[in-house]
Amino acid sequence: MKSGMVRAWLRLFAVQGAWNFERLQGIGAAWASEPLLRDLPGGPEGERYRDAMRRAASFFNAHPYFAGLAVGAIARAEHDGVPASQVERLRSTLPAPLGSVGDRLFWAGVLPTTSGLGLALAATMPWALGPAVFLVLYNAVHFMVRGWALRAGWENGMLVSRALGEPWLQTALRIAVPFSLASVGFALPIMGSWLTDGLTWPARGGVLAVAVLGVALGKWVLPTLSGLRFGLSAAGLALIVGWLWQ
Amino acid sequence: MTLSLVRLDDRLVHGQVVVGWGRALDVQLVVLVDDRVRASEWEQDLYRMGIPAEVELRFASVPEAIAAAPGWLASPLRTIVVTGDVDTLAQLVEGSDIRRVNIGGIHQQPHRSKRLPYVYLSDDEASRLVSLVARGVDVSAQDVPTARPVPLGEFT
Repeated sequence: MKSGMVRAWLRLFAVQGAWNFERLQGIGAAWASEPLLRDLPGGPEGERYRDAMRRAASFFNAHPYFAGLAVGAIARAEHDGVPASQVERLRSTLPAPLGSVGDRLFWAGVLPTTSGLGLALAATMPWALGPAVFLVLYNAVHFMVRGWALRAGWENGMLVSRALGEPWLQTALRIAVPFSLASVGFALPIMGSWLTDGLTWPARGGVLAVAVLGVALGKWVLPTLSGLRFGLSAAGLALIVGWLWQ
Repeated sequence: MTLSLVRLDDRLVHGQVVVGWGRALDVQLVVLVDDRVRASEWEQDLYRMGIPAEVELRFASVPEAIAAAPGWLASPLRTIVVTGDVDTLAQLVEGSDIRRVNIGGIHQQPHRSKRLPYVYLSDDEASRLVSLVARGVDVSAQDVPTARPVPLGEFT
């Protein structure tokens, strides 16, 4: 294995640690790349290491779990002596597909799928099983992807699009949304009956009405209203009404 | 017209565009207008990897985009057009009947100053956008569909 890979993998957990609107993850990506660049000809005092580090710290943004693919590929390109202009193009192009693939796989797939499963378990089994299964499943995929990304980036260098085209990833992206829909759809009625357990029928009707109102508002009237904002507003309103009612 | 969104975003086709806007608008076609990407095969390969299979991705240079714009405006396909810099966007809008543009993300560079947390513009870029408004184009900034659109007048 390439020297510095484990260190780079660990440092990638902090890739957003110096996040700012000027360079986004630039500083974090440079810090994570550094162990992979130390053995460039000339070493840490050499010209190539310094130039590579300067490039590595410029503007960068990707899905944090997939950032390793860019860090690995760019470090490989630096070792292969790819011209600076090409390295910079690679660095400015990669954030787009990495952001898109990461958002689709995790935010639209793994996160809702494992959340739905965890919620359903919490409502039907001893409750602690829900969060435990959610955390283990989610992070199993998360850690695996981080490890794969850094290795695949280093193996492919400038040809990193090959890694993104690997069949397992393409299949995962295809099934991400159907799985999350099935999982959340499975969990919703279970959660609904768990949350309204012990309520009178008129109160259950009220819960349903608020839920329908939220969906209708978000879908047709106020598309900028997110589910979280509506949920918090409705909860706040309910607290005030309940307090005045007494 | 079904040209759903004409966007300025220097990250081009990334997650906010594909997941955020693509889902919200149920988009079928994404056109990436950029002369440099149009000329680079490996960059096109990478952008293709970021697009779901059910969405078509095309690449166009500025002249190609101007020639194709009437087709996008008339086409039944729900389409997002993405440009990566103010100059490309302005040329496209000036050469076509596009009347509404969305500013997504333009990031910090030495000659740019901060206008919104996700929009940095040089004075030249800002005045170029103002000139589009003077032509009757609706220019507003909105990073994600759930955010409030901010009209250009409020941040230039």
